[in-house]
Amino acid sequence: MPSNESRVESRKSRERTGSIDGIVADEVVAPEDPQAVAAVLADAAACGHAVAPVGGGTALGLGNPPERIDLILSTLNLGGIIDYEPSDLVLSIGAGARFGDVQAVLGEHGQRLPLDPPGGADATIGGLIATARWGPLRYSNGTLRDLLIGIAVAHPSGTVSHAGGMVVKNVTGYDMPRLYLGSLGTLGVVVSANFKVLPRPRAEATIVASFHGAEEAFSQGNRLRGGREPLAALEVALVDDRWLLAARIEGRERTVDDVAGRVAAFCGGDIVRQNGWSSAEWWAEYVSRQQPTAGDHSVIVRCGGRPKETAILAAGIVAAMDTIDVAVPSLAASPGLGTVVARLELGAVGSRERLAGVQDVLLGLADTATILAAPPSWKQGLDVWGRLPEGFDVMQSLRQQFDPARTVNPGRFAGFL
Amino acid sequence: MDTRVDRYSLVTSLENIVGKDAVFTRAADLLVYEYDGSVDGAVETAMPAAVALPTTAQQVADIVLLARRANLPVVARGAGTGLSGGAVPQQGGIIIGLTRMNRILEIDRDDRTALVEPGVINLELSEATIPHRFFFAPDPSSQKACTIGGNVAENSGGPHCLKYGVTSNHILGLEVVLPDGRIVWTGGRAAGISGYDLTGAMVGSEGMLGIVTKALVRLTPMPEATLVLLAPFADIDSASHATTRIISAGIVPAALEMMDNLTIQAVEPAYHAGYPMDAGAVLLIEIDGIADDVRGTGEEIATICAEAGATEVRSATSQAERDLLWKGRKMALGAMGRLAPNYYLHDTVVPRSKLPATLRRVDEISRDFDLPIANVFHAGDGNLHPLMLFDRRIAGSTERVLEASKEIITYCVEVGGALSGEHGIGTEKSGYMTMVYTADDLAAMAGLKNSFDPAGMFNPDKIFPKGYMCGEVRALRMQAMAQKLGIHAL
Ligand SMILES: Cc1cc2nc3c(=O)[nH]c(=O)nc-3n(C[C@H](O)[C@H](O)[C@H](O)COP(=O)(O)OP(=O)(O)OC[C@H]3O[C@@H](n4cnc5c(N)ncnc54)[C@H](O)[C@@H]3O)c2cc1C
Repeated sequence: MPSNESRVESRKSRERTGSIDGIVADEVVAPEDPQAVAAVLADAAACGHAVAPVGGGTALGLGNPPERIDLILSTLNLGGIIDYEPSDLVLSIGAGARFGDVQAVLGEHGQRLPLDPPGGADATIGGLIATARWGPLRYSNGTLRDLLIGIAVAHPSGTVSHAGGMVVKNVTGYDMPRLYLGSLGTLGVVVSANFKVLPRPRAEATIVASFHGAEEAFSQGNRLRGGREPLAALEVALVDDRWLLAARIEGRERTVDDVAGRVAAFCGGDIVRQNGWSSAEWWAEYVSRQQPTAGDHSVIVRCGGRPKETAILAAGIVAAMDTIDVAVPSLAASPGLGTVVARLELGAVGSRERLAGVQDVLLGLADTATILAAPPSWKQGLDVWGRLPEGFDVMQSLRQQFDPARTVNPGRFAGFL
Repeated sequence: MDTRVDRYSLVTSLENIVGKDAVFTRAADLLVYEYDGSVDGAVETAMPAAVALPTTAQQVADIVLLARRANLPVVARGAGTGLSGGAVPQQGGIIIGLTRMNRILEIDRDDRTALVEPGVINLELSEATIPHRFFFAPDPSSQKACTIGGNVAENSGGPHCLKYGVTSNHILGLEVVLPDGRIVWTGGRAAGISGYDLTGAMVGSEGMLGIVTKALVRLTPMPEATLVLLAPFADIDSASHATTRIISAGIVPAALEMMDNLTIQAVEPAYHAGYPMDAGAVLLIEIDGIADDVRGTGEEIATICAEAGATEVRSATSQAERDLLWKGRKMALGAMGRLAPNYYLHDTVVPRSKLPATLRRVDEISRDFDLPIANVFHAGDGNLHPLMLFDRRIAGSTERVLEASKEIITYCVEVGGALSGEHGIGTEKSGYMTMVYTADDLAAMAGLKNSFDPAGMFNPDKIFPKGYMCGEVRALRMQAMAQKLGIHAL
């Protein structure tokens, strides 16, 4: 049983009330160690309360509106570095650590997590794991999935379980870290995680070519992708009525210089070249366009299909939205991955029905369509995750095994799990 | 066996599903299925009731449904090269051999994927994709024999996983037959599929959650340039220090392998790869990428090796030279027969900075137990493969080998390592699981197992310590959990 002490302990660090999608929680607790997180969860499970874990608060709008929230569980007191061995290139860190702070520590040793998720510096490690977000660097470096080597999770059963470890290769039992990744807390709350980290590239540059039409941007993008130039990221984007092709290059100084020169010559169109810091900043701003801005009525969707059909998908979205009077002020496509993230404007007459209509259209065009952000009232009753995945009943069993009382985030995950 | 399905009707039912030529039930035919690649003694053998070799996912599903009715366990099997007893049918039952499902269904150059059946041999997949200038990155040393299904189940690695990642990093989706006989896809070509990452959970699950009937794998473009370096050292200690320094300098080679003197003694006379016979250890380092980078990185590595005491650094750029250097490494296990009739290949991982100390400890153990131990392994990952040489015919030798392994495992765990880096747990190491995991850790793994296979029908007695998954223990655990939750009717 969770001790009264831990409950009191958590209450001490009580902050204020909080809300997700407009649903207000009466209480916020911020436990200071993994066992206390488990105690809070067990307590809530026993009372039939619903808990919403919150980290940096950068992706709270992701998912279906919560069925209910009795308690917000802040992970911000679970910060610190648990273990960092620069010479082993491994890091163990509390779930509440901010991504930006982690990168700064790694940076002191010339290392990094090669990730650039929306939400950026303010997102916590736990939040990034729960939402499994990625950014354009996925093109060359993969995602958290490729870096996560160990995890500790607090469960509503009152226990804390560990899996994996601090080695870069490990098949000791099932691959639990990957199961928890992207599960939005519904199998337990991540309290710490271990990563394989990588050396920071010595130099970087970005080539941005701008075109009038999507077709040209995509065809050059596809040729770059099929070519031999080693790119860190490759995106095609619609920004301010122009189609951009952006290529990020990372590596040794000379290589970056040579490759950037060749890419620039190849692309054609209007070329802008950014080096070093300004290259990094260009991408930070690029990714931030995929973040909802507080208080506005922006709808952000992500669609996925076959990588080779990315151009068709992007054009299809623009055309289809036009026919239902939805504006697409900006769009970001990843030709290596087959995804398109689009910002949509449903206009003054936006509504639940309109959003449902948009989702239907997108599901007709793409294999996957997720509404990443939308005004809460428009999301009511919709499954923002899109299509129900195959094997959904196995997922239901998982939820039942790990969180039988649906204590954490009831209703928010795929299929209203 | 359930009395509702007697042996005779089991055989006829299987024959009805897969055909007469694809069912084996005679003791002589079953003998090979009692084993996999593991060492006798480290893994118990067990005989299946029958072996069936289906050719379609539907046949696999029908066999599973039949087994369910007959209350028989089901064990999937690929090439049987596993080294932890994974494919050995601990409780008998039906073995589903997937070797006849061996078609490459599609190679998509634009999407960089291949869709394959589980019985496709690892090397054959790369050979089929190389003309398109792609390869399948996971390259276990057994790649000429092992299957993609086996690779998925064990989350296999290989020399090039240092840069490219293990099997899990290369699987995009799986078609799986579940214990209730349904055929489902996990994952797929598109990013952003909703729900839990069932593909991630399936990879490395040792055939205990589902049977893979198709895999959608990622293909990796062939690098523009490749360089292989051979660096001999006077002793293991300086070679392992060189390894640690290369990694901590932030260099990620495509592969970084070590072979010690005993290995060289076995390999060099057989394959003439060019390893100096008097070296205490050699490092075999591959770097790939674009030509300029490869050259620059090669020079840095050569400098580090020289500083760490390499007696020379030889580099091979032509395909033929590179192949020769690699041949010694790839054939190393085969050459061990020159040194002793039997060997036990061990697989553990330690943090890379702990390599020098760990190898010293392995050497000590070798002397304490009067047991020659060769080291040929993925040094860059910290993934050790101490290879113990012995003669099974000598009484007590197998026991000594097992004792020595226990010492090695214990040390590796003490310095923050793991039980296995790529060979899996199976039955070989299930008894050691409590050394690294608490009851709560194992309970979470059991939660995953129960979500897929509540009756425990697929590959029973693997991974979990003996008796852990049996009804009694499970009931106790449920009770404890119910108490914690304040629920009484669980
Ligand atoms: C000489 C030698 C060298 C080796 N080198 C390496 C190495 O470098 N790296 C490495 O990682 N491993 C290595 N191995 C181990 C072994 O080859 C791998 O584990 C391989 O992936 C097993 O494949 P398999 O087809 O032989 O599988 P099997 O041995 O037949 O089966 C292994 C496990 O997979 C399950 N399984 C098989 N097919 C399926 C399926 N379709 N669906 C679900 N479950 C399935 C089985 O139930 C079993 O649990 C080596 C083995 C040998 C003998």
